[in-house]
Amino acid sequence: MVRVLNTLCVALMGLSILALYHVSERTRLANVELNRVERQLHDEQTAMSVLETEWASVGGAERIQALAASRLGLTGAPAVQLSSFELLPRRGEEAPLSDTPIRQASVQAPAN
Amino acid sequence: MRVKEGPTIYQRRIVVGAAICSAAFLIVFLQLVRVTLLRPPPAGGIERIAAARADLVDRNGELLARDLPVTDVYALVDALDDKDAAAHALADATGAGYKRLAYSFTHAKHPYALVARQLTPDAVDRVMKLGIPGLEFEPNSKRYYPQGRVTAQLVGVTDPDGNGQSGLERGLDDRLHKSAGARQVVSSIDMRVQYILDSEVAAARRTFRTIKAGGIVMDVNTGEIIAMASFPDFDPNWRHFEGDDSDKNIMAGDRYELGSVFKVLSFALAMEDHTTTPDEVFRIGNGFPIGKYVIHEAEAMPATYTARDILAHSSNIGTAQIALRSGAARQREFLRSLGLLDMMDSALPERARPLYPRNNWGTIETATIGFGHGISVAPLSYVTAAAIVVNGGRKIVPTFVKHPEDGRGAQILKPETSVKMRELLRYVVTNGTGRKADIPGYEVGGKTGSAEKPRENGIGYQHHVLVTSFLAVFPVFQPRYIVFVLLDEPHGAKESGGGILAGLTAAPLAGRVITRIAPVLGVAQKPIAVAQRETP
Repeated sequence: MVRVLNTLCVALMGLSILALYHVSERTRLANVELNRVERQLHDEQTAMSVLETEWASVGGAERIQALAASRLGLTGAPAVQLSSFELLPRRGEEAPLSDTPIRQASVQAPAN
Repeated sequence: MRVKEGPTIYQRRIVVGAAICSAAFLIVFLQLVRVTLLRPPPAGGIERIAAARADLVDRNGELLARDLPVTDVYALVDALDDKDAAAHALADATGAGYKRLAYSFTHAKHPYALVARQLTPDAVDRVMKLGIPGLEFEPNSKRYYPQGRVTAQLVGVTDPDGNGQSGLERGLDDRLHKSAGARQVVSSIDMRVQYILDSEVAAARRTFRTIKAGGIVMDVNTGEIIAMASFPDFDPNWRHFEGDDSDKNIMAGDRYELGSVFKVLSFALAMEDHTTTPDEVFRIGNGFPIGKYVIHEAEAMPATYTARDILAHSSNIGTAQIALRSGAARQREFLRSLGLLDMMDSALPERARPLYPRNNWGTIETATIGFGHGISVAPLSYVTAAAIVVNGGRKIVPTFVKHPEDGRGAQILKPETSVKMRELLRYVVTNGTGRKADIPGYEVGGKTGSAEKPRENGIGYQHHVLVTSFLAVFPVFQPRYIVFVLLDEPHGAKESGGGILAGLTAAPLAGRVITRIAPVLGVAQKPIAVAQRETP
């Protein structure tokens, strides 16, 4: 009886070792895959970071204004006030274009 | 006699076998725990992210500074077969100096020699393609500033090891290091306003051929610095200077005798202590003798002026009389309460200790300091003091970190004094020297300052060599923003009719800045008086 038990224990130990080796190997492979994905994630984040920086650089106001001036002949337009909230008619009142103050609203602005 | 029976040999074998099994199970279990739960993060990428310096962004999330991945390349000198050929090839691929490489390969004191630092991925690819054995690639990061010169002095730079060296990079160094996990620090800067201020100051600098120029936009209620420009500037990505490039932030790190903009403070003190009223009449005359000195005006003035016109037309003689009524002790105490006699404490490491008469603040000094001579302060310090005058009279500390809440502290001036000063500043712009800053639709208040520069030896002043400045507040009756601009040694130009005084140089500049930034900042326009006046 003791011999049988002993043999069973040894057999169980062998099976356990095999099972645990299998689990361990799967864990190792999963770990390798995880590392690969994390590295890929990092590379993608780095690429995004570089692209965002490039976007901030090429989309900067200084660069856009220089391009607009050189390629499109655009210049900075002065801010002008065509009307004001006080001069606009309320809902249901006369149409705005028939209102004298609005037609005479100033568009003057300091020359740049 | 009874013999005590011990375990049999079989029982001992079973126990030993069970112990070995248990130990094996335990070892495998611990190994599983180690590789799953206690697994260290993979080397390389993730560690580098955690160690990187945080992004610096403006108040709307626009990028101001970011670490980008770069690579340092080293060579194991003994592994190089042909050192001269390797030096040639690596110099071509990396841009490093051939002579330096050749020397370091042939006279190496250490096993490794530095080939190049902070190489971009493209350059690393070129080096890899050379196929030279013995090269080692060390991942690193480089701070990049996408806004370039526009934020140069304000944002500052880091050293090659990633430590803040100047500007906000140094001032917010702890936050930028500590908050690496949070990934970004949000500054108070608004890049839209920063660009407008920078471009307008740069244009004025070209027009008036100044040696230096600068500007500040500040929220008077929160203390946030919305924009700050300083010229000459430099390219923070290139890091070596060309022409007159400079990394000095004149608005925080330089001190100036600002001249007549200081009259705002003298009037604030007079209004606070009721030593005069806006309508009191003062004799101006041709000169105001004090001891052995005589105070003169920069321009011809009438025989008398009301106090309000003294400020509007920037009379030195009138202001001197008003300042003398306050007295030296009270004037000194007042300027100290505004923070002008101490070094400004802000997030910027660039600071300037104010210069003022420490032991001989007498009658003459009281009169001259009244109109801004005999005291030198950093423009940022002055702007902070002016903000206190108009924001209801409460202490404010300039901040460079986004803080949209009301930041006003202790009461320095009575609120009524602040209201009076707003009216006086508006009068300067509608009826005085600041007319060219009067923008239709916006109620701008302000004060001009044209100060002769002291001589190099510190004795006397240089005639016709000026520092001109303009303090603008808008909307003046519900103050929200201060725009302060400064031109160091402007020269006459067609745009100013040949004049160099602040009313012709700095005031129009402030007006142009306000015209462009007010819509961006969402400041509501008032109905235009002209339209209403012409309406039948």
